[in-house]
Amino acid sequence: MSDTAASVCNEVIVRGPAKRRITLASVLRNEYFLNTVSLLLFFGLWHWAAASRVLGTSSALATPFEVVVRLQELFTSTLAGLTMWGHIFASLRRVLIGFIIAAALGVPLGLIMALNPYVNAVVKPIVDIFKPMPPLAWISVAILWFGIQEMPKIFIIVIGSFVPALLNAYNSVLLIEPELYDVVRVMGGGRWNEVKQVCIPASLPAISAGLQIALSSAWGCVLAAELVSSRSGLGYIIIQGMKVSDPAMVLGGMAVIAVIAWLMSRAMDALDRKLCPWRREIKDL
Amino acid sequence: MAHCTTPRPKIQVSNFTKRYGDLTVLDNIHFDIREGELVSIVGPTGCGKTTFLNCMSKLTETTEGNIFIDGEVANPVKHNLAFVFQEPTALPWRTVRQNVAYGMEVKKFPRDELQKRLDYILNLVGLEDTADLYPNQISASMMQRIAVARAFAVNPDLLLMDEPYGQLDVKLRFYLEDELVKLWQTLKSTVLFVTHNIEEAVYVAERIIVLTPKPTKVRAEVVVDLPRPRNFLDPKFIEIRRHVTDLIRWW
Repeated sequence: MSDTAASVCNEVIVRGPAKRRITLASVLRNEYFLNTVSLLLFFGLWHWAAASRVLGTSSALATPFEVVVRLQELFTSTLAGLTMWGHIFASLRRVLIGFIIAAALGVPLGLIMALNPYVNAVVKPIVDIFKPMPPLAWISVAILWFGIQEMPKIFIIVIGSFVPALLNAYNSVLLIEPELYDVVRVMGGGRWNEVKQVCIPASLPAISAGLQIALSSAWGCVLAAELVSSRSGLGYIIIQGMKVSDPAMVLGGMAVIAVIAWLMSRAMDALDRKLCPWRREIKDL
Repeated sequence: MAHCTTPRPKIQVSNFTKRYGDLTVLDNIHFDIREGELVSIVGPTGCGKTTFLNCMSKLTETTEGNIFIDGEVANPVKHNLAFVFQEPTALPWRTVRQNVAYGMEVKKFPRDELQKRLDYILNLVGLEDTADLYPNQISASMMQRIAVARAFAVNPDLLLMDEPYGQLDVKLRFYLEDELVKLWQTLKSTVLFVTHNIEEAVYVAERIIVLTPKPTKVRAEVVVDLPRPRNFLDPKFIEIRRHVTDLIRWW
């Protein structure tokens, strides 16, 4: 048979994207162009609402420009002895410690629960009891147990991030196609081979998605914890802004959280691409 | 119909029986396979071909009987059993090269031998140009060729194939059947090829085992003593195909 596999199978390997002509329609449909339009509309609407006092008084909403000016002040002067950098560091430190503890406990436990029916039978009822409980409900007992220093804040973050980390790891294993295990078994691979070659790599995308949710939850929890009892952190800035009726300060704190959370989410995406290179997408397919 | 016997078969399937409660799926199946033989199994739909293969590969335990390789009870850890499933089963997180190498890694082939054999097999199945791509970047036929290459790469004592080309179009199937025969002739593996396509069975196999409907027994063994490459229009080819069809239709 003289045919090559490629010609028989009509197979074409595309090694790079095809070049396209730039037209008005292609610009209007361009993702980055649409992103820019969306952001301009958002900030324009915000500015209009603040400048025309749609919400009533001048203390209800600051313009984007006023927020930028206020942020500049917060970065150069101190509030409760810390500049904005100090407050960012305080919140970031709490988020990272809590998130890492939650991930280190939740992911392995979720995997073990899915792999071992006995562990699952023991742990799942407890997880099911605590799963629907909002993390913020723990604030009062956390203060009673750990006082008002760092521990209760980190505890709340761990509680808030643990559940999504665990549940995604657990569900990821249950969704693995059984045929993939058969590939290992029929070759004579043992249980460890199944875990190493199938379970862990197949679970990575879902674990990564769970960690993204856990990270968002960690930010929500740190804010709540800092609003209640703190002299540092971005939550503290927001609550101070509210106390002195300074909307630029409140929105500035919120904007900083949004930027940092976005940067961390990007970092998680990059890590995801590094850990799961097989998920690379074929554009426009 | 002819019966094939040899003094020392490589594979012996003895008293193979599988029951699920009161339902007997496989009923006392016996047959032998010589070393380096390509045997095809055909049977009516629902006769339990997949159960049969799962028992052969030790993915499922038999109720009675066993499979012996060189006189010993088959053991996936000790013996080289390989399986090509009906569905493509490439591991999505491994590149084509890593997928083909996987069986050899499990079997702990020495590094040098693994590399040498890997390059040889990839070249043999025409996957060398796509060796560094992931399964989601290649076609369905390439995926199935990965599975075939992975199975042949471990130099299996017994290679089990479960209708591997059932979902491909005719032209591609002919091509891959030729590729299978080439691999088998080159690597001298012992292959058990399950299919519901009688023409395919006559084209690739040296011997065809015809199964009955449930409870499944061996209905007949047909030797295909045609020269290769085989011609679908050869009157002898057509005669064997008709004979096997009649054996299935008889039930």
